[in-house]
Amino acid sequence: MESNTHRIIQAENLNKTYQTADTETIAIADISLSINDGEFISIMGKSGSGKSTLLHILGFLDRPSTGTYIFGGVDTTSLTEEELAFIRNDKIGFIFQAFHLLPKQTVLENVMLPLVYSRIPSREHRARAEEALERVEMTHRLYHMPPQLSGGEKQRVAIARALINRPDVIFADEPTGNLDTRTGEKVMHTISELNKQGHTVILVTHESTTASFANRIVIVQDGRILSDQPNERRHVHYQK
Amino acid sequence: MRFLATTKIAFASLRSNLLRSFLTILGIIIGVLSIVLIVALGQGAQDLILSEFEGVGATAVILRPGKQPTGPADFSDTLFSESIKDRDIEALRKKENVPNAVSIDPSVIVPGAVSYGDELYRPTTFGWTATAIEELLDIQPESGEFFTADDIRERAKVAVIGSKVKEELFGDDDPIGQSITIRNHNVKVIGTFPSKGQLAFFNIDEVVLLPYTTAQRDILAIDYYQEIFIRADSEENINFVVQDVEATMREQHNITDPEKDDFFVNTQKDAVESISTVTDVLTIFLVAIASIALVVGGIGIMNIMLVSVTERTKEIGLRKAVGATNRDILTQFLIEAVMLTVGGGLIGTTGAIALAALAALVIRQQFALDWPLSVPFGAIALGIGVASAVGLAFGLYPARQASRKHPIEALRYE
Ligand SMILES: Nc1ncnc2c1ncn2[C@@H]1O[C@H](COP(=O)(O)OP(=O)(O)OP(=O)(O)O)[C@@H](O)[C@H]1O
Ligand SMILES: [Mg+2]
Repeated sequence: MESNTHRIIQAENLNKTYQTADTETIAIADISLSINDGEFISIMGKSGSGKSTLLHILGFLDRPSTGTYIFGGVDTTSLTEEELAFIRNDKIGFIFQAFHLLPKQTVLENVMLPLVYSRIPSREHRARAEEALERVEMTHRLYHMPPQLSGGEKQRVAIARALINRPDVIFADEPTGNLDTRTGEKVMHTISELNKQGHTVILVTHESTTASFANRIVIVQDGRILSDQPNERRHVHYQK
Repeated sequence: MRFLATTKIAFASLRSNLLRSFLTILGIIIGVLSIVLIVALGQGAQDLILSEFEGVGATAVILRPGKQPTGPADFSDTLFSESIKDRDIEALRKKENVPNAVSIDPSVIVPGAVSYGDELYRPTTFGWTATAIEELLDIQPESGEFFTADDIRERAKVAVIGSKVKEELFGDDDPIGQSITIRNHNVKVIGTFPSKGQLAFFNIDEVVLLPYTTAQRDILAIDYYQEIFIRADSEENINFVVQDVEATMREQHNITDPEKDDFFVNTQKDAVESISTVTDVLTIFLVAIASIALVVGGIGIMNIMLVSVTERTKEIGLRKAVGATNRDILTQFLIEAVMLTVGGGLIGTTGAIALAALAALVIRQQFALDWPLSVPFGAIALGIGVASAVGLAFGLYPARQASRKHPIEALRYE
């Protein structure tokens, strides 16, 4: 692990506007953000405030309309689609609210999916998948199909998939949004554990209980950063 | 590596929709089946015809009166032309005129029926030399004998008849020594041909063969010939023979402008080439028609691939989110389309080969033809090749649609 003060993300004046019919929607406006290696950040805000848009841009699933985004010291603004695909595959992991598992593939195959597009030799795929599944305590369901899993299990499989490439940064968009409170809590413990093991975590949520796992909370309103502060009361009430 | 994995993904997705996959490729199966079947049968027919001609020999040169027919109207010119007579035969037979000719056999066709007692039959009657038939068709009399050079010189009233003629006129009786009547002339049967069916130009079973002198002078009372059969001493010299025959004939007929020839010369090579051209054109024509099925099949593939791309929008989004490039997605869907069509191509080709083999067996049994029973490797390659091409052509557009999807929009798709 590199030093905790190493800056992994530096975004400057990010804007994203959507052109729909005759109106122009400003999803995020003039956002600047620096994130150090090993941080756990929660992005909060009302519905429609631009949280997901920001996360997608930071996670290379989308591009900003204007602004500069430096990731791991590299200016990514002018990278090609192919280079962005490589970063998605190699440097980051994404966790979605709706899990997005392939329903006709087993747990094992779902977790190995990113490796199909990597340069990692296929004989290592299975061991890596099992290791990732171990970290989310899902090794007992290797050959289950996603429809046979509970919501919490699905999200843990999705987390294992996000882990399999040993990413620098894990992005999670409302990972507990489709789960009940208790299950969501468990998933948050897992994510928190990953952060302790060294992964940088950037999480979007509108639930303060979920956000409270982070060590830093960014609040977004109307596409702009309203506040950006350390989380003093970091989930003490969760530690049972 | 990555390609192999992508292939596996494509295969798994096809397998999970087995019935739909099969229905989708039905058009391709039918298209490929028809094309391969047509090509295989066309090849069989061509091989058969060519093998018949090979029997006739590559050294044969045929001289006919009139003009080389280029259309139906020209045939009458040829049939009624009387330009080739005995003095032409004599000139051609002079060694210095056509040094590479080993034999020159004139022939005449005798139209009309042949009778024996009350029995009447319309065979193919012509006057020729027995040696020409013997050499050309490699045939010996089944009973009796062939007429000789002496018979030709003496205009003997003798005939050799085919098995069908024998059956029609004599039934089970022995025809040898019996007299048959041709255009009011009595001719004695001295031999019979073995039953061999269709050989090159005519059906030997339906032939009545006379000495050409007898047929020409006595029976038809004419002084010209309808066909002169010339044999070259070797295949290499065949063009010299053609040139020498043409030169001799022009000198005989005082022709200076080849455009005004009152005769024409063909070789077996010409005949073979023109028959190949006919079967080729026919094959191409039928293949073009069958290709319509293939195009329809291809559109079916495109349609189902577009449906599949839409259905799997989320999957595409997810694959992109975890690192698939546009190219990965393009390849995946292209492989899927090609797998579909090649699967159809394999089924269609197998079916076509089975049908072609069945047809060959039936033709052999029913028509006693020596139809070739071969595996048409060219047709197999054609079937698979065409199927892959259709898959690529009609799979490209849906695959591009898939590869161009935006990851987030694709993931959000409901
Ligand atoms: N593709 C798009 N086209 C047009 N407008 C869009 C598009 N995507 C997002 N927006 C708009 O951008 C704004 C921010 O959307 P975003 O999804 O980032 O909000 P969010 O903070 O994640 O909300 P939620 O908590 O409901 O998920 C919204 O007003 C939304 O309508
Ligand atoms: Mg959102």
